[in-house]
Amino acid sequence: MSSSAIRCESLGRRFGRRWVLAHVDLEVARGDSLLLAGSNGSGKTTLLRVLAGLSRPSAGTVRILGRDPHSERLACRRLLSMVSHRSYLYDGLTAFETLRVWARLGGVAYADGELENLLDEVALTPHRDLPVGGFSSGMRKRLTLLRTRIEKPDVIFLDEPLAALDSGGKKLVERWIAREVEHGTTVVVASHAIPRMSRICRRALLLEEGQIAWEGSAADLPSQMEEPA
Amino acid sequence: MRVLGQIATLVRKDLLLEWRGRTRGLSVVLFGIVTLLLFSFAVGPDSAALRAGAAGFLVLALLLSSTLALSEGFRLEHENHALEGLLLAPVEPMALYYGKALSNTLFLILLAPILTPVAVILYAVDAGPATLVQVIGLWALAAAGLSAPGTLFAAMTSRLRSQDVLLPLLLFPLVVPVLLGSVKAIALVLGGDPMGQLSSWTVLLGAFDVIYWTLSGVLFTHVVEEGV
Amino acid sequence: MKRLRWDAIIGLVGLLMLLVGSYIGLFAAPPERHMGEVQRLMYVHVPTAWISMLVLTAAFGFAIASMWTGRPKWDAVMTGATETGVVLGALLTVQGMIWAKPTWGVWWDWDVRLTTTLIMVLFFTGVLVLRSYVAEPERRATWSAVAVIVGYVDVPLVYFCVRWFRSLHQVQSSPETVASTMITPLRINAFAMLFLAIWFVARRSRLELARLRRESVALPPRRAPRGTAVPEAPQEG
Repeated sequence: MSSSAIRCESLGRRFGRRWVLAHVDLEVARGDSLLLAGSNGSGKTTLLRVLAGLSRPSAGTVRILGRDPHSERLACRRLLSMVSHRSYLYDGLTAFETLRVWARLGGVAYADGELENLLDEVALTPHRDLPVGGFSSGMRKRLTLLRTRIEKPDVIFLDEPLAALDSGGKKLVERWIAREVEHGTTVVVASHAIPRMSRICRRALLLEEGQIAWEGSAADLPSQMEEPA
Repeated sequence: MRVLGQIATLVRKDLLLEWRGRTRGLSVVLFGIVTLLLFSFAVGPDSAALRAGAAGFLVLALLLSSTLALSEGFRLEHENHALEGLLLAPVEPMALYYGKALSNTLFLILLAPILTPVAVILYAVDAGPATLVQVIGLWALAAAGLSAPGTLFAAMTSRLRSQDVLLPLLLFPLVVPVLLGSVKAIALVLGGDPMGQLSSWTVLLGAFDVIYWTLSGVLFTHVVEEGV
Repeated sequence: MKRLRWDAIIGLVGLLMLLVGSYIGLFAAPPERHMGEVQRLMYVHVPTAWISMLVLTAAFGFAIASMWTGRPKWDAVMTGATETGVVLGALLTVQGMIWAKPTWGVWWDWDVRLTTTLIMVLFFTGVLVLRSYVAEPERRATWSAVAVIVGYVDVPLVYFCVRWFRSLHQVQSSPETVASTMITPLRINAFAMLFLAIWFVARRSRLELARLRRESVALPPRRAPRGTAVPEAPQEG
């Protein structure tokens, strides 16, 4: 069904003897926003990695905008972006050079001026020509967010986007995500910051031991999580 | 073609990072020089023996330095998981392979202008500039032959515990044709080639390069598929 | 008493044949004109050479099958064949040394095929070591299959370069041709080693497959999610 952005059927992922994900049935419509909640080890990160095509499912199927992220790699890559707690940065490159590499690899022509404007959006202009190795985690996160601006994806996955940020950084990321949701990008966020994220996302999913324990509207999630196990 | 542009971007990125982190390249060069020195100590002050073994010592120094260079090439990619970031971009894994293999080859070729004169001096070799240029050309073919399977194996071993041992264990037996071919060819260039065998050895080196640059490029896709 | 499996039967037949063939070769066949008794080693050496190459070629085929289908059974058979090939290759090298010492006075004479074998034994041992360091079964299967393919393609390259290398120096005759009257024990031993190799590969593969099966585990039972799916959001323009 091409109207859904993400569609999983009986998705499972096994590492050695352990099934980290099992029986995951999921459908996310285009332009929708989903919050993935669950304790550490519940499978949130693995689910995002499988959806992004970084990990192959051991069972079941995944479709991103109708395409299999594994067999139709390149087509899917153009449609999605992943913002992980891993920065994917090269410490030796400057902020500007990093953007330029991303732009060139993404196959989109960007003038230098446009890249500089992007740096300005996240207040990184003074650090334009400084190597990323010296950046704080907040600065790295801001730079990483710019990748979504360059790639202009239809689907964005975010894995713990607020981790290791101060309150100013957290607000920046929240505004960023909210703006993407407004623009109609499909957003899936895995996060522990339930109160903040449930305000931005429409739906929510609670994972327990790799399976979906609860799904519903994001507004109902905080009360759901307070219930005794 | 877009793929060529992506390869160019990746090579430029690697060269830029290499230039910024120059100490790494310097360490490999120094390692090469020390290796050449150690060989001369092992043989002793026998100029005839040194001269006879010069080609072999030079190629061995290249081989030993190559494992350092190859594993370093991937260490950068695993800092901050940058390689995974590349896999998330709309880049063919084959482009990733050729970009990395090309930058590894270039790095190894850059060792030649430094190590060759050192060898000439240490091993009392009688060689003019034209000869040295030929030597560097053969070195380039050898470097390409080492980098092709080397980049493939380094991609695998860089994530494993015993990477320092595994990479040479796999690479050294495999590149025996490169070792033999380049030693013979360089020896013929330095010592004279009465029977005109140079072309056969050069063809062997070239054939190895072509075969492995093709094969490794195809296989690399499968190596990074499971997420490196 | 446990019923014997098909490969154990083959292995037993192979062992018997080896005993018969070696007996003929050691005692019944006439000694070779030039080399004398030591040449009798050929009745084991030549078959080992044939079969080790065959097993390695089989490993190459299994590696391709493993990468193509992704099924663990091909990975298991590939591992069995690689290990067996390594053992046979090591055996070949030792036999070559035993032959060389009384014949040439040196343990190692850089014979083309033996040198190639030694190099390949080292490489494929490296592949087995690689396997032991990779914990995840799918990655282990893919990576070792890639390594086997890369290594097998190298065999002709190594062979030719060692041959050219040697031809520049004095040519020494290798343990090559055998007079036609002595073909029978050779053939017997060739099939004997083939059967023994099949038995080794089958046994080792079974072990590996059992290990892979032990590692794999069935899906846990499904737990139905609480809550209701939210009705779809209105489509944006």
